[in-house]
Amino acid sequence: MKHQHDEKIMNKIAEQLGADFNAEVIAEVAEHMRECPDCKIYVDSVKQTIKLYRVTESEFSVPEDVSDRLFKVLKLDNR
Amino acid sequence: MIKEAEIIRMALNGDQSAQTELVKTHSTRIYNLGLRIMRNEEDAEDVLQETFITMLNKLQQFSGKSSLYTWLYRIATNIALQKLREKKRLEAKISIHEPDFEALRGSQLREWPEHLEEKINDEQFRNCLSVAMEDLPENYRAVFVLRDLENLSTKEAAGVLEISEANVKVRLMRARLFLRDKLAHHLKCVGETR
Ligand SMILES: [Zn+2]
Repeated sequence: MKHQHDEKIMNKIAEQLGADFNAEVIAEVAEHMRECPDCKIYVDSVKQTIKLYRVTESEFSVPEDVSDRLFKVLKLDNR
Repeated sequence: MIKEAEIIRMALNGDQSAQTELVKTHSTRIYNLGLRIMRNEEDAEDVLQETFITMLNKLQQFSGKSSLYTWLYRIATNIALQKLREKKRLEAKISIHEPDFEALRGSQLREWPEHLEEKINDEQFRNCLSVAMEDLPENYRAVFVLRDLENLSTKEAAGVLEISEANVKVRLMRARLFLRDKLAHHLKCVGETR
């Protein structure tokens, strides 16, 4: 089956996909996704992608040697 | 606690402990920003050093209109992007495909496996995530890092990158779709061998 979408809903979906990760789903998109499982799968998979990166790219502390070299370069005393 | 504006004023007057304080307060964020954009520790360290050298040299140019960390993000991001461009100069230019929701028009959409988070300990999967980020062109990577990993607002990211908010949104969408497609491809391959 061919998946047809008018430009209006495509623009709304694009808007959703560029919005905050935690943003509420735009009403039109939510409504569309109820009738269109493909779009739901797609939007969900983008969310899942972001979530995976947020988990795997967790914050490192600056390694001690890196910090030592930084303060040395800056000629500052790292108390 | 002394306000950061006061510490900045002291640092500008040559107070070394105030300068140290500023570096200590912001070095973790800048180091991580460098790691996420550059994708390796050596380059992240260069970005870290150059950012704070620039900060100390140009602190008098900091207007105080934005917060110090967004100002530092701008310096660090520019340094990182410059480095990536230099590296790429000899390599073939890669351009990002224009995502036109192709997957939505095809018939290959398949629900992703549940509990994907459990897969992040799988080395092959982590590697796929990392390679996808490396493949993402730097202009898009910077937006993704600032918005989705560093949690900057659209407005802040626009300020850091000196582009419009509309542009941030478009690049963020494209970056996400690019990463999503790479991952979808990987997951499909994994599915076939199961
Ligand atoms: Zn749809």
